[in-house]
Amino acid sequence: MNEQQKVGPTVLGKLVLIVFVLALVAGAAYYFRDLLAPGERAQGTVDIDEFRKVEAPDTKGVTTVNEYNYVPAEKLPPVKGVSSYSWDAGEKVVQFPINVWIGWLPIVAANHGFAPNDESVFAKKHGFKVNLRLIDDPVVARDAFAAGESHILWGTLDMMVLFTPELMKDSRTAPRIYQQVDWSSGGDGIVVRGNIHSVKDLKGKTIVYAQNSPSQYFINNLLLNAGVQPSTVTHKYTATAFEAAAAFVADKKIDACVSWAPDIYNIPEKVAGTRILTTTAEANKLIADVWAARADFAKDHPEIIEGLVAGIFEGMDLLKDDTLRAQAYQWMGEGYGMPADEVEAMAADAHSTNFAENKGFFLNANDPANFERTWKNITFVYRELGLIDTPHRFDEVMDFSAMKKLDAAGTFAHQKDEYRAQFAPTTYRKVSAESPILTQTIRINFYPNSANIFEPQHDASGQPIKNTLYDPSVSATLEKVARLVGQYERAIIAVVGHTDSSMKGKGTRYEDVKALSTDRAEAVKRALVQKYKFDENKFTVEGMAWDQPADPDDPTNQALNRRVEISVYPPEAQ
Amino acid sequence: MSPSADSRHSAPTRPEPGTERNGGAWLQIREPLPTWMYWALGVVPIAVLLLAWFAVTAGPIPEERLISPTILPSPMEVVRSFPSLWFDRALTRNLAISFSRVLAGFVAALAVAFPLGLFMGSFSKIKAAFTPLTVFGAYLPIPALVPLTMSLFGTGEAQKVAFLGLAFAIYLVPLFVAAVDGVDDTYLKTAYTLGASRWQAVSKVLLPISWPDLYQAMRLGFGIGWSYILLAEMVDVGRGLGGIIITSQRRGPREHIYLVLLVIVVVAFLTDKLWVALGRRLFPYREATR
Repeated sequence: MNEQQKVGPTVLGKLVLIVFVLALVAGAAYYFRDLLAPGERAQGTVDIDEFRKVEAPDTKGVTTVNEYNYVPAEKLPPVKGVSSYSWDAGEKVVQFPINVWIGWLPIVAANHGFAPNDESVFAKKHGFKVNLRLIDDPVVARDAFAAGESHILWGTLDMMVLFTPELMKDSRTAPRIYQQVDWSSGGDGIVVRGNIHSVKDLKGKTIVYAQNSPSQYFINNLLLNAGVQPSTVTHKYTATAFEAAAAFVADKKIDACVSWAPDIYNIPEKVAGTRILTTTAEANKLIADVWAARADFAKDHPEIIEGLVAGIFEGMDLLKDDTLRAQAYQWMGEGYGMPADEVEAMAADAHSTNFAENKGFFLNANDPANFERTWKNITFVYRELGLIDTPHRFDEVMDFSAMKKLDAAGTFAHQKDEYRAQFAPTTYRKVSAESPILTQTIRINFYPNSANIFEPQHDASGQPIKNTLYDPSVSATLEKVARLVGQYERAIIAVVGHTDSSMKGKGTRYEDVKALSTDRAEAVKRALVQKYKFDENKFTVEGMAWDQPADPDDPTNQALNRRVEISVYPPEAQ
Repeated sequence: MSPSADSRHSAPTRPEPGTERNGGAWLQIREPLPTWMYWALGVVPIAVLLLAWFAVTAGPIPEERLISPTILPSPMEVVRSFPSLWFDRALTRNLAISFSRVLAGFVAALAVAFPLGLFMGSFSKIKAAFTPLTVFGAYLPIPALVPLTMSLFGTGEAQKVAFLGLAFAIYLVPLFVAAVDGVDDTYLKTAYTLGASRWQAVSKVLLPISWPDLYQAMRLGFGIGWSYILLAEMVDVGRGLGGIIITSQRRGPREHIYLVLLVIVVVAFLTDKLWVALGRRLFPYREATR
């Protein structure tokens, strides 16, 4: 064959040709790189001012309790088609999966353990049985719910926000939320290395947490409230909170982790140079545990839904008895496969929300940490992070019909709101000795020399114009502050007023300026206390006059300087 | 191109056992197949599966389908979500990330498993020493080792490569040992008669003769990495195909889960073809003897 006349390019020629073709391919690939290998949809910059003004101003002004007066069925998506869950009409066993979480203690007490039985409150009073099953993995719980194997889905409200768009694709699996079981109260927390004192110090740092979990909501809500762009922080994700804690311990390059009890309390004891930044013991109205029923199941069995709600409240009554409480720990331990004393050790992680507290959560439109506000806040945070595209309204999942019925019947009128922190009067000086968990800067446009936040506009001759506001967005600003203050129900809030320094050295008396800044801070406090019924002693007020420019590098930026800062201090500071 | 080198359909010269005995039976033992039939028979089950998928998810109204879209979206819905997987979730980049992790883990595993397997297959004392470990390894639920790899290798790339390497090594070592074990004693005896030293026996007899089987073991083992990708990418989720699945399970769209599974199937098919093609170049004699 080597005798044949060679036709075609030489070896070098071939090589050149191949290089040329490769270069063309590479060039084309580079040119079309955004088409061939696009980057992930970038997480945009969050408009933090927008975050503070999430709602139209509430023109109603000061009210006390304002109950929703619509009918839930009119807002909830209607159920179509044939119900598709497993159900034995003779046995009547509700499949109710739960995770390892002390918040389920009331239902365990009411159900006399995990397995369906005749001794349970549900069987004796309401005519059905409940099978509590341990399904710790939220994805498995969600899939069992979607498949109709379970009728109930456990979860925090932030998990529900993420699950809802998918579950609503089928009107039968749309989640209906009837009851809040507890607030996380020390069960979730953020552990940091020693150089971090406040949320704003997290800027440029690396944090690790379980993605799509309450941890993600917790930390990003804090970052946004502290005015830190989430994109300026390096986020590392794990699948579970345990792994986040393990990653933080293992990797010194990670500056903070969001995790659960007991890890958040064990790490600072075992790992030198770490401390707790904040937990839900302070942000005690931030993470709400609820349960949701399949829409088709709820439609077919409204009496069972009411029985579940009532039975869980009855479980809370039962737990007031120490013997029964010990028995409930025992049952829970058996269900989880852990010793009863370990279950008891979790008791401080959550606060069971009784009827009165649920009523506030579901029915009181003015409660700063109610269902609506919590849902909207979560939705806002997750939409800004690019986690959800088409958020659903709170009234597409919240169904307060069972709560209203119980209210009308007065069955649980004896259960009073037990979740109100007590505050003693304190001073700013004392509170500010520690560093705040976070500081939120708000801007209210005050009329010159006025401390009235609801100051009307003035005409050319200086006369106030009726039904106008000098700062039209003041109600939205207050709403944002109220949400933060409401989430941090147990924390001390310092309201600090600052003025600009435009009149500095022009004959203005310092005392007058200081008084004005104090009055403005006081006005913000007053408005919050009036509208949202906060305890007055929760706030401490201070005026800083023109002493602290907003940006030390640009002290004469007067627009920035005219501001009020809301700082959240741990309750120990008082 | 002919579909598969290792399959027996491409050896028409082989005498057909059983033809006389079983006459015209439709299923013949080790019967040679024409290429078209080889492909056609492979396509049928896939088509049936697809049809079943279409059937149980048919219908424009979610509530009237046999399986709700909250569990299983229809094939068309899955296909329609491709642009959002490609653009919003950076499919190609994440695929490249996952593939390089699998590859790196494989190479890392080879670095340990290959010499270990070779020596275990060659020297009885080494085999006796390591066999218990490999047996335990095969029984271990590897997911339990994720936290351990994290404390040893941190949470970055090294941890993922180490975890995948571990999974690969546990799978590969026994196969490598079996490959070396499978070399007939006759070859060794001949080598010794010709005066081969111990090392020559390993490097000139055991290794070259077992090469095709070692290669076959690697080919089979390479898929293992993809089975563990979800676990490997549980730490520092967000990048890689496993990350896409984990994320989609929590906040949707559900379609992406199935789409990523399809992508992995395609990748598996292509990589396997690559292994086969390379094998045919490396061991042409293997093909001929069959």
